[in-house]
Order: sequence, then C-alpha cells, then structure tokens
Amino acid sequence: MTEERTFEEAQRELEEIVQRLESGEAPLDEALRLWQRGEELYRFCRERLDTAEGKIEELAGRAEAAKP
Amino acid sequence: VKVEAIDYGDRRVYSVGAFNRGVGSWLGRLPTVWVEGEVMELRRQERWASVFFTLKDPQEGACLGVSMPRGRFDALRLDLADGDRVHAYGRPELFEARGEFRLRALSLERFGLGDHLAALERLKRKLADEGLFAAERKRPLPVLPRRIGLVTGNDAAAKRDVLTAITTRFPPARVLVAETYVQGPRAAGAIVEALGALCREPELDVLVVARGGGSFEDLLPFSDERLVRAIASCPVPVVTAVGHEQDMPLCDLAADARASTPSLAGRLVVPDLTQLLERLDRARSGLERGTRRTLERERQRVDRAHERLGRAPRLLLERGRARLEHAAGRLRALAPQATLERGYAIVRAGDEIVLAGADVSAGRRVEVELAEGGFGARVEDTR
Repeated sequence: MTEERTFEEAQRELEEIVQRLESGEAPLDEALRLWQRGEELYRFCRERLDTAEGKIEELAGRAEAAKP
Repeated sequence: VKVEAIDYGDRRVYSVGAFNRGVGSWLGRLPTVWVEGEVMELRRQERWASVFFTLKDPQEGACLGVSMPRGRFDALRLDLADGDRVHAYGRPELFEARGEFRLRALSLERFGLGDHLAALERLKRKLADEGLFAAERKRPLPVLPRRIGLVTGNDAAAKRDVLTAITTRFPPARVLVAETYVQGPRAAGAIVEALGALCREPELDVLVVARGGGSFEDLLPFSDERLVRAIASCPVPVVTAVGHEQDMPLCDLAADARASTPSLAGRLVVPDLTQLLERLDRARSGLERGTRRTLERERQRVDRAHERLGRAPRLLLERGRARLEHAAGRLRALAPQATLERGYAIVRAGDEIVLAGADVSAGRRVEVELAEGGFGARVEDTR
C-alpha cells in the first residue's frame, strides 16, 4: 500500500472489490486475490481512522504578520 | 500671495495670519478630487453662505470637515441625513481665521447601495467572463482531509461554530486556524495573506473561510477582487461560509463549495466518523461473504466433477461391451457356419469350391460339407 494513496481511493477500491466478489463472477484464483487485496485496503482505511488524533492548532505568529 | 515675515536678528518670524495665508495658498494649489465618506453633523442655516458637514471614513473612522456654498448645496436637493454615503468633489482649503483645514466641496453626489451593487456587478461580470466562477473549475472536497485550514475572525462565534461542527462529526480532525481581520479596509489583504500562509502548511487538504453575518459594507472585503482571485487560485478546495444566505459575496462564487452557515461549512469538510466506520465494516463483511460464496461455489463444482469422474469407467465398460456384442453379432452373421446352419452345403472338388455345374463332370468325386459333418459323393450328371 503506497503512501500517496488517499483514504477515498482505498475506500472506493475496497467497495469495488466487494461488488465484484458479491457478483460471484470472479474465478477462484481471482476471488482469493481480491479478498487479500480487500483486507489490505480495509486495514489501511481503519488505520487512517484509528491513528488520527484530533488537534486544533492556531496559525499564530505567521498570521501575526498579517496584523499591524 | 506674498507672506510677510519679521526678522529678529537671524530668526524669521511669521504672524499667525501670515502663516495661515501661506499654508492656505499652498493648499490651494492641490488638485480638485473626489472624496468618498459618510455625512455627519450637517449644519445649514439660512443666514450662512456655506453649509458645513463632516465626512467620515466608515472603515477607518477618519474625519474630514467639508464646507460647500449653500446655493449649490440647496440646488442639488439631496435631502441628506447623517450616515448617508456621498462622493464630494472639491479641493483642500484652510479656513484662515481659525487655522482649520477642510474640503471645499463644489459638487456632491449621493453614493448609495445601488452604486456599490453596480460596482460589484461590474466586477462579477468581469471575473465571470474570465471563467473564475465556472462550474467545471469546482473541485470535489476530499472525503477525509488530513488537515483542515480555517480562516476566520477572532470574533468567537463563526470560529466556534465551524470547529464544533467539525469535531462533533469527526473527532480525529486536525484543524489549523488562522485568525485575521474579517472587516474593514485591511480585511481583504489580511485574508489573502492568511490563505497563503495556510496553503504553505504541509498536508493541508481543504480550506474553510468563515465569517458570521454583518452589514453589506461589513461583508464587502469578501467581494474584493484580490480575495476572489486568491480563492479561485488556491491549490486546495475552498469552502466559504460568509454572512447569511442572501448575501452571496463574490468569494462564494469562486469557492469550490459554499455553505450558508459556518456550522454547515464544518459539516461539509469532514465525514461522519460513525457512518464511515459502519460503511467500512459493511464493506469488510461483504468481502468475507463474497469470498465464502465463491469458495462454496468452486467446492460444489469440484464435487460435481469428482462424482462424474467416478461414474465414467463403468459407463465406458458398458459402452465397450455393447459395442463388442454388436460386432460379434455382425461377425456371426457373416460366417459360413451360419449359412450352413440354415441348410446350405459347400461342395468341393479337390481344393476348389464348386460354384457351377460346368466345374465338374459326371463320375467326379466331390466332398460335401454340412452344418454338422459331411459326406463324399459322385456326380451323376451336370446341367
């Protein structure tokens, strides 16, 4: 899973994989590969949500320059 | 104007009157210009040759005394009240008797909401012609921004509303707040600067510009051309929530999304964490369900194949036997024994089979073969 991947890309791919799997059209080899990929994507998304820590910062100092 | 001075040794000294005359004459050389301000303290009396009022800068609060010939003022029939916005055409003047500086107005025009709106409308058309407001320029907002930039005034309300909406919906949000002027002549420049500063921050994925309601003039900075252009050219999507629903400052048109209140802007930039987790978990169950279904289907297919594999040899054997019987039947039908069994006989003369009467002559010994055994015989006569 590359770093540049965004959450929404991962989520979209995961949901496409589920759709393909649930259609029952994927042959076994592909189904297993899709399942593995889907699990990876799920873990990536969960991690993004679980490790994020809420934080409110003030851009003081730099914005200060805009004030007299 | 010649200004007389008195010399006391090497010191040149002016009388007050001479000084005022000198300054007045110097001021009198300045050009005639238009000045915009709000009318205050209008003083008009029939016995005065001039009317007097103060022009106030509504944004900076600076004041300027104005005098205007009463005849001209009356002729305009402006019916001015305190707070009316006007454009005054005049030049600086010194009232020498009191050393008071003021604007000597030659003409006066009311500058109202309509003029502001017309100026805004012109700017709006110009920017629209450049394509700044085009729908195809609007970028989708990120589903899950890594960091959110918020530009707001230090009046708590708008800022608090945005932050509350964001953290309620999505507690792990990271917000970077830039407080700045959101009103007055410096506001537009300050907001542009704040936007720029936020955009230079790493991982910033979306920007919110929020300001609570205010008068038409209060919100004018949000229609400032510099700000509108800065929002349009921002490297990340921008959501604006400025004033109330009906205000629609130009920055709203350039923004990628517009919210009618700061709270709604907050809701736009983050997902609902609970829903997001539910959706992810639903996808995961789908993943398992789908894979299990495929596995089950493939297992059944293998089972069916195996079953057919078991049946195959017996079928083959039976088919082989049937074919063999069939061949045997045909073979039997063709063999001479079968013909002999139907009552025919084979007659041989020596090694040759006798097929015609002419093949033998009377007295020739022949051998006769029957279905069972045979006998020797002599030919009596031939035909």
